[in-house]
Amino acid sequence: MTWALYSRLFRIVLLSVAFLALLYLVLPTFVIVPLSFSSTTYLSFPPPGWSVQWYLKLWQTGTYFTAFFNSLKVGIPAALLAVIFGTLASLAIVRGKLRVGHAVSALVIAPLMLPQIILAIGLFPVLSSFGLIGTYAAVVLGHAVVCTPLVFITVSAALRSYDSTFELAAMTLGANWWNSFWHVTFPMIRLGMIVGGIFAFAFSFDEIIIALFLTDAETFTLPKQLYDELRYQMEPTIAAASTFVLTISFLLLASVGIIHRWSDRKVAAGRAARS
Amino acid sequence: MSAESTAPFAGANRVLDEDARGARVEYQGVAKNYGEVQALRPTDLTVEPGEFFSLIGPSGSGKTTLLGATAGFNPPSKGHILVDGDDIVGVPPFRRNIGMVFQNYSLFPHMTVAQNIGFPLRMRKLSRAEIGERITRMLGMVRLDKMGERRPSELSGGQQQRVALARAAVYDPRLLLMDEPLSALDKNLREEMQDEIKEFQDALGATVVYVTHDQGEAASMSHRIAIMNQGRIEQIGTPRELYERPGTRFVAGFLGEANIFKVTAREATAGGCRVEVGDGQQFASDASPPDGQTICACIRPETIRIARGDETGDNVATGRIEDITYTAGSVRYRVRIGLNLVMTAREPSERGYTLPALGSDVTLVWRAEDTLLVDDDPS
Repeated sequence: MTWALYSRLFRIVLLSVAFLALLYLVLPTFVIVPLSFSSTTYLSFPPPGWSVQWYLKLWQTGTYFTAFFNSLKVGIPAALLAVIFGTLASLAIVRGKLRVGHAVSALVIAPLMLPQIILAIGLFPVLSSFGLIGTYAAVVLGHAVVCTPLVFITVSAALRSYDSTFELAAMTLGANWWNSFWHVTFPMIRLGMIVGGIFAFAFSFDEIIIALFLTDAETFTLPKQLYDELRYQMEPTIAAASTFVLTISFLLLASVGIIHRWSDRKVAAGRAARS
Repeated sequence: MSAESTAPFAGANRVLDEDARGARVEYQGVAKNYGEVQALRPTDLTVEPGEFFSLIGPSGSGKTTLLGATAGFNPPSKGHILVDGDDIVGVPPFRRNIGMVFQNYSLFPHMTVAQNIGFPLRMRKLSRAEIGERITRMLGMVRLDKMGERRPSELSGGQQQRVALARAAVYDPRLLLMDEPLSALDKNLREEMQDEIKEFQDALGATVVYVTHDQGEAASMSHRIAIMNQGRIEQIGTPRELYERPGTRFVAGFLGEANIFKVTAREATAGGCRVEVGDGQQFASDASPPDGQTICACIRPETIRIARGDETGDNVATGRIEDITYTAGSVRYRVRIGLNLVMTAREPSERGYTLPALGSDVTLVWRAEDTLLVDDDPS
């Protein structure tokens, strides 16, 4: 066997393995999509026939809409809080040259790595003592804790990609702390903040553990509603609602991709014009 | 030996403009400690109005610390920095009205060239019309008239450098700091930019404090240079003074090439002294022998001649040529004149002259006034 043939064969094997691994990663999530178009009243795969009746039923069931709007009411403020806290933490650690920076940054990322069930169990009595259980504020606060690391990571990456002399330069040019942040730092980390915010919202939008503990019959979020429905009945309305959640998550993911591509293209345009 | 010269500008490459509008900068006992490490030992220094003053030295010598203290990035642990008589140590960087050019230019990537230059004016809340007018003037001054709408990433290194200069000067600061601004450029462009920065300073009349590790660059641009080593100033002088009258072994070795030998014995003579440098070699010098501490003899390679015929001089040393290097315009010889003594001589290359052969014996001659005596470095 010649070397060229051998390396070509190797390439084919490698590509197929990569392809199968990708399928394995996304396919289980997509099983829900054909189920939502099933003609039967129970969840079975593959579906015996096709219909859109479950989407019609979803449309007619008010609770899903309530849950969807609840999720927005929780996700948007949680993402905003996370953007504020995550950005501030990142500025302090990356730019502030904290001596204990590594320890602090480990603490900021901790909520993402630690078991959320324990966070939820811990939050419950604390928020309960403030009488917040069942309020939007409770879930927003809970989600902001877990979402802050996501923003911290994206903003820190953006900050690290720029030299800190930009801020020093701004200051020698007459910009005080606020002006050098607003005119120099912020434009450079804006993209990181937006992407981090999208990740934060997406996380909150499908988070269930904290929502199970901290919401009530009024403030239940979409994942909580799906979970409750699942316990009583196994009909494809759930699959239809899940497909809806999935679509929103994918739109968020796609928007992140588009933002990155757009900024890459801007950089590439700069390089092209120079050469 | 860090005494300031009595005639600060004697023998300068550049003559100081008496009417310059630049600031006078006085450092009084400025020191900086980082924990236990003394990055800058108490330093006194006065930079004259309109002067181009360079701080040179190896990394960690304290030059960047001194510059950072002036800009306001790292306040000194002790001492005062007076700009035209006012102590600026407690003033935040954004109120110092000092221009600074950074090593990597630090042009804001999200702004156009014009926006970059206009930034300090916007911070000073000047009117839109005045900002526009000043941007146009600055762009003209750095010959980038048509580049205002470009992004910094669309410019060449030299052009970015000129934008950085324009941005640091557009608000008419009386003091400009430059932190190795040319180190990112290639050699030819660097030399071109040296002339440009000089012209730029002449046009502005500002005082410049310039940090570099490139002694050639400092020598060609500066009125005076301070050579820094291990957190303190070793010597201050014009480029010529520092080269021809170095005070210490470090200065002699840092600025240009030098043959440096530790003096083991010394003896006064009618016209100066004779010093012994080991292997029985004795050199004559016209300097009077300093007392006390260890000294070194320093001979610049270009002051040594390879003797032709029976040519002789105050100093004569014979030896064998170990190496010959031909570089543009000059020939360098490495000659072993003793068991442990090797001297480097440099002569201008002459067309048609037959170079002595490698391994041949030659006689080196130089004048007594070219044997410089300098203090040895504290070990």
